[in-house]
Amino acid sequence: MTSPLFEIDALEVAVEDKQIVNGLSLTLEPGEVHAIMGPNGSGKSTLANSLMGHPRYTIAGGDIRLQGTSVVDMPPDERARAGLFLAFQYPTDIPGVSMINFLRRAISARRGEEIPVREYRQLLNEVLGRLQMDEQFVRRYVNDGFSGGEKKRAEILQLGLLQPLVAVMDETDSGLDIDALRIVSEGINTFHSDDNAILLITHYQRILRYVQPDHVHVLIDGQIVESGDASLAERLERDGYEPFMERTKAEVLSS
Amino acid sequence: MTTATLDAPSESDIKPDDLRAEVEALSRSKSEPDWLLAFRLASLEQALGMEWWTGQEESWRRTPRDRLPRRARVTDFRASVHNANGRVTRVPQHAFTPHAHSGLIHKYHGDIVATDIAEQAEADGIIVKPLSEAALEHPELVQQWLGAVGQPLDRYDAFGRAIWTQGVFIYAPRGVVLDESLFYLVTQDTAAGDHWHYTLVVAERESQLSLIDAGDADDRRADLDESPLIHASVELIAEDGAQLQFASVQRWHRQTAALSTTRGRVGRDASIRVTTAAFGADLDKQRIDLDLSQNGGFAEIRGLFVGDGKQHIEHVTRQHHKGVGATSDLLIRGVLTDESQAVQYGLIRIEPEGQKTSAHQTMRNLLLDDGAGADPIPMLEIEADDVKCSHAAAVGPVDPDQLFYLQARGIPPKVAERMVVRGFLAEIADGVPDEHMREVIDELVEIQLEPARSNS
Repeated sequence: MTSPLFEIDALEVAVEDKQIVNGLSLTLEPGEVHAIMGPNGSGKSTLANSLMGHPRYTIAGGDIRLQGTSVVDMPPDERARAGLFLAFQYPTDIPGVSMINFLRRAISARRGEEIPVREYRQLLNEVLGRLQMDEQFVRRYVNDGFSGGEKKRAEILQLGLLQPLVAVMDETDSGLDIDALRIVSEGINTFHSDDNAILLITHYQRILRYVQPDHVHVLIDGQIVESGDASLAERLERDGYEPFMERTKAEVLSS
Repeated sequence: MTTATLDAPSESDIKPDDLRAEVEALSRSKSEPDWLLAFRLASLEQALGMEWWTGQEESWRRTPRDRLPRRARVTDFRASVHNANGRVTRVPQHAFTPHAHSGLIHKYHGDIVATDIAEQAEADGIIVKPLSEAALEHPELVQQWLGAVGQPLDRYDAFGRAIWTQGVFIYAPRGVVLDESLFYLVTQDTAAGDHWHYTLVVAERESQLSLIDAGDADDRRADLDESPLIHASVELIAEDGAQLQFASVQRWHRQTAALSTTRGRVGRDASIRVTTAAFGADLDKQRIDLDLSQNGGFAEIRGLFVGDGKQHIEHVTRQHHKGVGATSDLLIRGVLTDESQAVQYGLIRIEPEGQKTSAHQTMRNLLLDDGAGADPIPMLEIEADDVKCSHAAAVGPVDPDQLFYLQARGIPPKVAERMVVRGFLAEIADGVPDEHMREVIDELVEIQLEPARSNS
């Protein structure tokens, strides 16, 4: 029996001794799109960053497995090379480091060998064109002086270039106007194939109109309290998170 | 910080009569005109009448006293590598040899080992010559500008004008605009001990010149009995409307104590831009003092360094505003590994008449190891009321979020750290007016980071 592509198994994550993610489990199979939706403070960003191995977050329990192999003890760069990708909610600017240099190093790291210059140029132009980005864009420093929309597009550009197995998208839709949202969503859809899986972490339902999820999960207080198909997202859009939060509170009180 | 006892500096190395005789012999050996000898001797008397720094002065308080020799000796270059005809027999490759230039002079062992000038530059009247030679060929020019930048800043500076063995005169006539940089290459003769440089750069009205002053050592691995002192007095003059750019990149022998005094006089609507990159010396203290007495002037100071081991790298700067509507900007960025230390003492001084001044300074230090430290001290002395000033100083590690971002793209931590560090320094290196030179600086940054980083 082959292992699932990506498994989050009873994961517990703490930040400075405060536990934020409380035993979360989720399995992604190749070709799937999962959406995790949750209100502010439900642990969305903690989950996203801990999956990638941010040093500020401590794995207090459980496991994260990529193709059956635990990544919990791997540093972030090793996870990335193994095929895990995080699209950042707030991409960090790195002045003095050009996008073109950074992207080449990132692709070479992911592939385990230097990408030839010619092939790199072709690949870059192709993905830039698809995202309706100017070639001059890659001459700029990494995320430095980028508008909110440019930063998100740059994340999708990296997604397209690095071809990960599992892409965790942390609030990729936030701060985007409707045109940018469409382009970014198309970028995600073009990347998506039967070989990879996407985990969309979002507050709002609107990106799910463009990127169709197979499964939707509701995250409250670091736990998945409800899972369903795309219609669950519509229910959330209509009723908000309130009913789920009430229920969680009631459960806590009755226990 | 411990309070050092301020013992009186030793004067034992200074023997006035011997120095007078040595300066005279030095000047004669270079066949200098009498007025140049007179300038040297007057400077010597000035120096003898001054005191060494004691450590109590604000601008010297943070300098490690035991590592900067208080001494002034005339270097005897006649020994080691000259042949019977007095020619240098062996010239090591200089790390900074340019690809393209408008003019070049390379000095080693007190001698010129290479000199070149582009046809156009020569036709335009550009001068790139040893100071002694220029004094013979262009006496009225050299006499006009010698010491014109003002009184010596301290005793070293005064000695520098007296006992220099490596002098150079760079000159752009009125309205002449150079396409490529001029290069002044110096190879340190590690066997010969102290070096005293005197560099005089003049950009006449409306001219544009850039000079790259690059120092390398002949044998960086030599084990020296005594730490050599390399002193440089640099005088930059930009007449009205002129644009003068000066970039100094040094990779001296590691045991060297390097001390430089760079002074600039900015004319009306003129500009002086100084960029320095420090790599080699055990102790590197740079004093940069730019004078904006005229209206509408522009002065810029950019400093870059990478320290390792126990290096001490210090910038003492002054942006001195007297003219109306002048602008100045300072940006220093350094990276410190091991137990290296940095000090930036930067003063913005605005006189009452310096209205509409815009003056800024930013000092940023990245510490890559626990033992490294930095002490940036921005100072403002403002006596005019209609000015815009700002200062910012920072000391800290590489931003963990930047490292995480790069690592999240598969880049290993050590490589990620280097990328951030090189990016951090790139903004300074970008100010160097020569592409090849920028590449060399980037390589030196890489080399300097190598030994320290590979252990971790």
